Parts: sequence; structure tokens; C-alpha cells
Amino acid sequence: MNQAIFYFFALLTVVSALLLITRKNPMHSVLYLAFTVLAIAGVFFSLQAEFLGAIQIMVYAGGIVVLYLFVIIIINLNRMQPERRRFFPKLFLVALPLLLVAEIVVVVLRHPVQSLPNAATGLDAQTLFRSLLSTYLIPFEISSILLLAAMIGAIIVARKRVSNDPRQ
Amino acid sequence: MIPVNSVIALGLIVFAIGLIGVLLRKNLIIILMALELLLNGVNIVLLGFGMYLRSTLGGVLALFVIMMAVAEAAIGFALILSYFRHKETYDLDDITDLKG
Repeated sequence: MNQAIFYFFALLTVVSALLLITRKNPMHSVLYLAFTVLAIAGVFFSLQAEFLGAIQIMVYAGGIVVLYLFVIIIINLNRMQPERRRFFPKLFLVALPLLLVAEIVVVVLRHPVQSLPNAATGLDAQTLFRSLLSTYLIPFEISSILLLAAMIGAIIVARKRVSNDPRQ
Repeated sequence: MIPVNSVIALGLIVFAIGLIGVLLRKNLIIILMALELLLNGVNIVLLGFGMYLRSTLGGVLALFVIMMAVAEAAIGFALILSYFRHKETYDLDDITDLKG
């Protein structure tokens, strides 16, 4: 049963990711991004990593996708130009990642199939938070500094210049 | 009983789709979305190996990857908006200011 749910969400993830990178209109791509993110949250839930699935829904589907929507609304879509690329560079750019994934899939499949442990070990919220606040406390605090720096940097880069001061 | 091989394969396939999107598309916004796909593929692989090795490190690293994705999205959009105000374009073919 668990396995069927996992394969269902995996299929949804792959199909919607393929649709994401092939749509011409960025608004359609954003909707497929939301679909992909929710399907990956379903994959996390079926792996019994419920905390990461909840974080995925809240941060990605609730934060990042809405940010993409706002930016596409701000940027004028009427001036969208068709993308042109010659055939052989295109073939090369598609073949390179496909060769990469074919190699690694062969390496993965050459090993015997090993199933995951039935009960989630170390991925429930309690053990995750305990290790996050004890063993990995310093990276946790540093990541808060990273988020603060990213917020200040985004505000400074994206603000409108109102004054005519040439030093700005 | 989900085999760990299929979890790793799913993560790799999502990563490859994102890589194709980053390399092939010329729309800056769609390239940023494909970058999110890359990070999500890495997250799936981290989670699969973390469960397989019975370690908390997989989940913790996946959390840090999500934090990094948020910072990257905010900075990327700030750069796109700032560039769009100057040049009124977000097509990669037109962004050739630094070309000699």
C-alpha cells in the first residue's frame, strides 16, 4: 500500500516536472511548479518523513510559488519573445543530462534492491528537532544569519532608486 | 517496503529534468524554477539515503537545503526585477552586457 502511494506520487512528480520545463508561458510553469512541489511533499509523506513534507508544503507551496506568481505579475508578460535555439546545441544540451542520469541509474540498478526500514528512523519531528538543536546547533544559527543577509540583500537590490544622487 | 533504489532513481530523474530545463530554456523565470527542481531532487536523494542509513543527518541536511532554496529564490528574484527595470527584458539572448 505504502509502495503504491510512493509510485503514484513519483509518477506525478516526473510528469509535472517535464511539463514545467516545456511550457512556453511562465504562468503555466508556475502552476506546474506548485503541482511538482506538492507531489514531492506526497513522496516525503509516503516515506514517513512527515515533518519534511509539512515544511515542503509550507515553505515551497506557500512561500516560493507565491513569490514566483508575484514576480510574473510584476513583469509584463505581453512582451514575451519566442525562444529560438539551433538544433545541434539543443540536442547536445538534452543529451548531456540524459547521459549523466543513465550512467547513475545503471550504477544504482546494478546493486541489489534493498528496501527501506519499515518504521521511519530519525526522520520524525522529535528526533529531527533534538539533533537540530543540539548536534547541529551552530549550522542552524548560521543559517538564520544567511536568511537575514538574503533578506537585506534582496531589499537593497530590488528597491527603486528615487533620488537623483549619482553616488547611489 | 519501498526500495531505496527507486527513491534514489526518482531524485536523480528530477535532478536531470531540472538540469535540462536550466541548460535549454532561455526565459530567466523558468530557469529559476528549474533550479528549484534541482534542489528538490537533491532533497529526495538526501532523504532516501538518510532513511537507508538510519541517520538523522539526511533530514537535517534536507532542511538546510530548503533554507538555502528560500534565500536563493529571494536573491534571484531581486536580481531579475532589478535587471528588468533597466533593460525591460528577461530573455537570456538579450542579456549580453558583459560581452566584449
